[in-house]
Amino acid sequence: MSEIKKIKNLKEFSTSADRFEGANLLCPGCAHSIIVREILNATNDPMIMSAATGCLEVCTAVYPYTSWDNSWIHIGFENSSTAIAGAEAMYKARKRKGKLPDSCEGKSPKFVAFGGDGATYDIGFQWISGCFERGHDMMYVCLDNEVYANTGGQRSSSTPIGASTVTSPAGRVSYGEKMMKKDMLGIMAAHGAPYVAQVAPNKWKDMIKKIQKGFQTEGPVFINAMSACTTEWKFAPDDTIAISDLATDSLVFPLYEIENGTKLTITYRPKNKVPVRDYLGAQGRFKHLFKPQYEYLIDEWQKMVDERWEYLQRREEASV
Amino acid sequence: MKYLGWDELIPGAILFSFKEELDKDASYILPEDRPYAETNSHEAYVGDWRVLKPVYNRDICIDCQFCWIYCPDVSIISRDKKMIGVDYDHCKGCGICVEVCPTNPKSLLMFEERIPNEEALAKWPEKE
Repeated sequence: MSEIKKIKNLKEFSTSADRFEGANLLCPGCAHSIIVREILNATNDPMIMSAATGCLEVCTAVYPYTSWDNSWIHIGFENSSTAIAGAEAMYKARKRKGKLPDSCEGKSPKFVAFGGDGATYDIGFQWISGCFERGHDMMYVCLDNEVYANTGGQRSSSTPIGASTVTSPAGRVSYGEKMMKKDMLGIMAAHGAPYVAQVAPNKWKDMIKKIQKGFQTEGPVFINAMSACTTEWKFAPDDTIAISDLATDSLVFPLYEIENGTKLTITYRPKNKVPVRDYLGAQGRFKHLFKPQYEYLIDEWQKMVDERWEYLQRREEASV
Repeated sequence: MKYLGWDELIPGAILFSFKEELDKDASYILPEDRPYAETNSHEAYVGDWRVLKPVYNRDICIDCQFCWIYCPDVSIISRDKKMIGVDYDHCKGCGICVEVCPTNPKSLLMFEERIPNEEALAKWPEKE
């Protein structure tokens, strides 16, 4: 096991040499790259990464440029997880047989797969499930922006109820997305994964702690990272962190972790809880909810978020 | 740079980040010391995406590094725990650094692209 990078405060953290390069083609103000930077800077070990088709992949590897300073592969929409699982299995096998090249001596590479919420919640779900069942020593990071942003904003099973997307548009007869957001973290925890956690880029300290814990964990780790999407959530690019703050402080996106499939710990409790109305009101995709005929949905949203928070707290208390 | 044709690319379309093999991992080498290959997006330019540019005022900055951590484009240059400046080749002008800046007045502000930085610094607002 390698040494954990010591990150006491932000000043110390800022001495990290970034391994993710600028001039990628992500939108200005995209949270994807904030998350990727925080994850890559959380360790000094070599990283072997993959990305499923999605914003992150198409924007960081546009010919003739790559934005990654470590090994990185893109293969398909569904199999970023299995690609990394294969690399990890190969690494283990060669290590066992003593066939690793000399340059790998004394290093402990980290295997990380990235995927958007489309690649995680829908298309790559079966593959991820397989990886977790086989117990590869890898980390899967879902960059959850609650929509298929790369292809123009279609709904995914991560899209929350009431959001207007191009395939679930809001209008005279519909309030937008009708289905609830899938509880992916619960599903991954149910695989008996040693560690699953929900993170947000604005709470960087919480995020680094969880990522480092994930790297230290033997076995598959699932990280669900909230990624505010300036284009599809429809807010100004400079508001990315403010929107993320609203999401974590209104508990729409609670930050917690589950160890060994059962032990749930809430890692962030907002000092001042913000009403969900503020979170919804800050984004264009929810703007129709403020029309009189759909306003009842805001109260339902609040009720839903409160119930979820209540449930998480009860689970933490009972630690089951 | 010369773009390779479809029949000249290495099968699997491999792009190299560095010109030569590094003797240690990139996380131990500062960007200015790295032998970037011309296929690394570090060598590319997205400065023309900007409408407004962030201008940095060293006199007010407290080196909290909020701008460094929240910059999506690796455009805030920090060395030895100090904020040095903005990388205008890679900054897309999103304005997050200005939003998260905690000082009063802010030590980063958005100005129009055509205004020279010295002129911008001269009309910096006073403390509120």
